[in-house]
Amino acid sequence: MTESDKVALDARDVSKHVVGPTGRIDILDSVTLRVPQGESLAIVGASGSGKTTLLGLLAGLDTPSSGEIHLDGHPLHDSDEETRAALRRQLVGFVFQSFHLMPALTAEENVMLPLELDGAEDARTRARDALDAVGLGARRSHYPHQLSGGEQQRVALARAFVHQPRILFADEPTGNLDRRTGNKVCELLFELNHSHATTLVLVTHDTQLADHCMHVAELDDGRLREPA
Amino acid sequence: MKLLRLALRTLRREWRLPELRTLAAALVLAVAALGVVATLSARVEHGIVASAAELIGGDVGVHGASPLPESFAARAKQLGLKISRDATFPSVAFAGDRNQLLDVTAVDAAYPLRGRLRVQDAEGHEQAAHGPAPGAVYLDHRALTDLHLTIGQPVQLGGQTLRIAAQLNALPDGGQLVTMAPRAVMNLQDAHRAGLLGMGSRAGHDLLVAGEPPQIRQYVTEVRPLLQKGQRLITPQSTQQRMRAAFDRAGAFLRLTALLAALLAGVAIALAAQRYARRKTDEVALLRALGTPRRRVLGLLAATLAALALPALALGSVLALGLSQLAWHLAGELLTRVPTQLPWLPAWAAAGMGLAVLIGFAFPPLARLADVAPVAVFRRSLARRVRRFDVLYLLPVLVAVALIWLQAGNARLGPILAASLFGVVAAAVLLSLLLLWLARRIAPGAHPGLRLGLAALARRRGLSLIQATALSLGLTALLLLGVIAPSLLQGWRNELPPDTPNWFVLNLQNDQRAGFEQALRDLHADGLNMLPLAVGKLVSIDGQPIDQRPLPNPDAKRWADRQLRLSWTAALPSSNRVVAGTWQGADPPTPMVSIDERWRDLFQLKPGDRMTFQVGEATLTTTVSSVRKVDWSSFQVNFFLLLDTAHASRLPHTWIASFHLPRGQSGALATLSRDYPNLSLIDVNALLDRVRGIIDRVNVAVRWVLGFSLLAGILVLAAALASSAREREHEAALLRTLGAHKSQLHVAAACEFALLGLIAGITAAVGAAGAGLWLARGVFRIPGYLPPWEPLLVAAAAAALSVMLIGLAGTRRVIRTSPLELLRRS
Repeated sequence: MTESDKVALDARDVSKHVVGPTGRIDILDSVTLRVPQGESLAIVGASGSGKTTLLGLLAGLDTPSSGEIHLDGHPLHDSDEETRAALRRQLVGFVFQSFHLMPALTAEENVMLPLELDGAEDARTRARDALDAVGLGARRSHYPHQLSGGEQQRVALARAFVHQPRILFADEPTGNLDRRTGNKVCELLFELNHSHATTLVLVTHDTQLADHCMHVAELDDGRLREPA
Repeated sequence: MKLLRLALRTLRREWRLPELRTLAAALVLAVAALGVVATLSARVEHGIVASAAELIGGDVGVHGASPLPESFAARAKQLGLKISRDATFPSVAFAGDRNQLLDVTAVDAAYPLRGRLRVQDAEGHEQAAHGPAPGAVYLDHRALTDLHLTIGQPVQLGGQTLRIAAQLNALPDGGQLVTMAPRAVMNLQDAHRAGLLGMGSRAGHDLLVAGEPPQIRQYVTEVRPLLQKGQRLITPQSTQQRMRAAFDRAGAFLRLTALLAALLAGVAIALAAQRYARRKTDEVALLRALGTPRRRVLGLLAATLAALALPALALGSVLALGLSQLAWHLAGELLTRVPTQLPWLPAWAAAGMGLAVLIGFAFPPLARLADVAPVAVFRRSLARRVRRFDVLYLLPVLVAVALIWLQAGNARLGPILAASLFGVVAAAVLLSLLLLWLARRIAPGAHPGLRLGLAALARRRGLSLIQATALSLGLTALLLLGVIAPSLLQGWRNELPPDTPNWFVLNLQNDQRAGFEQALRDLHADGLNMLPLAVGKLVSIDGQPIDQRPLPNPDAKRWADRQLRLSWTAALPSSNRVVAGTWQGADPPTPMVSIDERWRDLFQLKPGDRMTFQVGEATLTTTVSSVRKVDWSSFQVNFFLLLDTAHASRLPHTWIASFHLPRGQSGALATLSRDYPNLSLIDVNALLDRVRGIIDRVNVAVRWVLGFSLLAGILVLAAALASSAREREHEAALLRTLGAHKSQLHVAAACEFALLGLIAGITAAVGAAGAGLWLARGVFRIPGYLPPWEPLLVAAAAAALSVMLIGLAGTRRVIRTSPLELLRRS
């Protein structure tokens, strides 16, 4: 096994800029980071420092203006959207600050979604297992608006892990939750991460949450303060 | 003021929102469609009325069984209207040892105010004329022949010797196809002098008036309540059955098209308002949380809407006026004799109706928006109270019903249309529920894309229902306008095929039949139909002499005094239907008569009653075998009284014939007229042309409205698809984040929209066909009408395909955008 096989995420000199009404805005400037397989990285920083943009680029949701990103050895920067979508489907799980559950789907149907996209035959059974794992087996037929914030985020966790991704990206997973609920979700996140041996990249303001991760990278105005 | 300023600022900020633009466009279209139809139909109706006025000699008139009070004429003069008086009565003319009963019309010098009195001089030149001078008379060809007279000779009429000034060719006589006796037109003063119009005379008296439409309307309004027993208004609409039927149909067509366009716009407004309300939820929750009272929020929303609506209403009105002016110029040939000034009133009325559509369809979601709980700033799901049934949403239904009721102007059109559209809504909802139910069951085992599409529909159950219903309604309205209305018009036109009899012949004798038939064949005339005609009087009913029988209805008295036309035929004529009793057939054991419904009502008759007629020297006592409903609007010769062939053929009779002679050959009939001088040849081409003209005018107006309705339909389509755009965008972003293929999203969207299109296509095709069938029977009375299935299905399929393609086009945009950006947006 070569070294690169063990690296889940490898970003080199990644920059992102957009052109706004007042001219070019640099959001990220030459960010370089590596996350070995099975480890966890917290990206912290002030609001507007470019954390979510970086997460989006690392997860293949967007493309960098320059630089290279390899996800589990696959060059995201060179891939078209279709290829990146396939990589996300197979390798990536997501947890968002605002949960992003589909309002018209039940908890179970929300969890089934990544499996259905991949054409899995046993989507329902696996979704039920995933919901049981987050302690929401009894609420599988509830719709998001019938669940509390913590419960919604637990459904989101079940959805993130149900297809056993290699890498999990979490964007402020406890940002919309109170401390107690946040702590529970945080515990659950790391527990699942551990049991699935998933690589975890999370963006957070929460230093306590960041402390749970093996590595911490701080973004300041689009630049990494400490190389991860 | 502050509120208004705030509203204007809000509008300036939000003007770019697609839903507000849709709302404004729908409003402009609604007002423009209603306005164009109202102004065009006002103009077309004016044109039709003006054309029909030529049939009665004036714009309107008053008829009385006795001389009319001077006040009727005085009021007309005060209103600046032109007036003309005439009287009609039967009188015997004498020339040497010959005499002949004539239908005489005595007229003043102003007659006719509209249309033409056509006479022919001794050299055979035809010209338009007014009433004859005192001492002169016009006799028609038949009178001249029967009395062996020529132009310039004297004739005795009503005890006076009058000089025949010209041969009477035609006069505005209400478009009667057949008159009993030869005709004469004399001077009214002469008739007065001769005492023909005094007490005890059987003359009918008419006062005709003509002038500008507003004054005419005022005159009618003022005179109507003053009418006494035996007096009635003569209007172009009431004069002639055939014209009346055409009027009714034309009006119903125009109103139907306008209504559908307005309802389409209403649906688009409702959808756009719904979407706008959803978008504004967060903002309103924030306003409420910051302490803005509900009433002020509602005021702000209403003021914003008003600021949007006023220019839209004005623009719609201006467009309506401009386009109807344009239509008038482009279709000038068909809209001839139309007043040139713009009818402002219909355009303002359309703006009023547009406002009602806006309030009715946009108010409910906006009013509920003001109800958003302040706590929704924390949690969106708390934004609304969940209501099982929201009474406010009955408002659009009420507005639609009111609009249908107001616009329909026909006792049947409104209910039929309302019921049809309600049926379409119910069918769309049921079909959608069924498909959603199926989708839930099919989805798990289906292709991933298909599964996603089905699941998407099932997920947004409420929105899917709204979309399917709105699309079905919109498509039904479009199919009704685009496919059903033209086919109904064609059905109407088919009632007057090119070989419709355009000539009638009276007074054909038994021994002339064969020769006449041959002569017509030589002229390439076709469709010859001959019926016997006996002229007689009703003598008694159930053995009681008619003059001793109490007849409460003055009309019955008039009919009892008249000479009646009797005919007989073995088979029931095609435009007749037996409604009571049984058809007598050719050879019943005892003499039988079949009567028309009007006779049943006038004389309170029923099958089994006995009626005795005197025809010449013969008397025939008959039993009423049946009561018939007769379609008097058909161009067939029909009779109130039909005897049985076996017993009636012994009666002295002549023949009445109808045939079709190709246009431009009427000159050849002059020879026929010379060979058979006793015949009366009646040209009904003019009447046929008038009815066909009405159909053509309606066709033009319908085509103009169709353009608007298509735009309104596209708007409904766009609004319906846009109503779920936000949800779809969010879903697509999430699905792409989770790794969905582009093709999966495409297939999902295609499947979702194809299903929506399928529901809309099926319900609309069936709904439009059903409504068309019902309208054909109930409103337009077009027998044997069948909806054109092929174009209907093709149009429905094309529309369903369009739904799918438009939906896919919308999805492409979502797919091109970065999922990260979409997630951030949502």
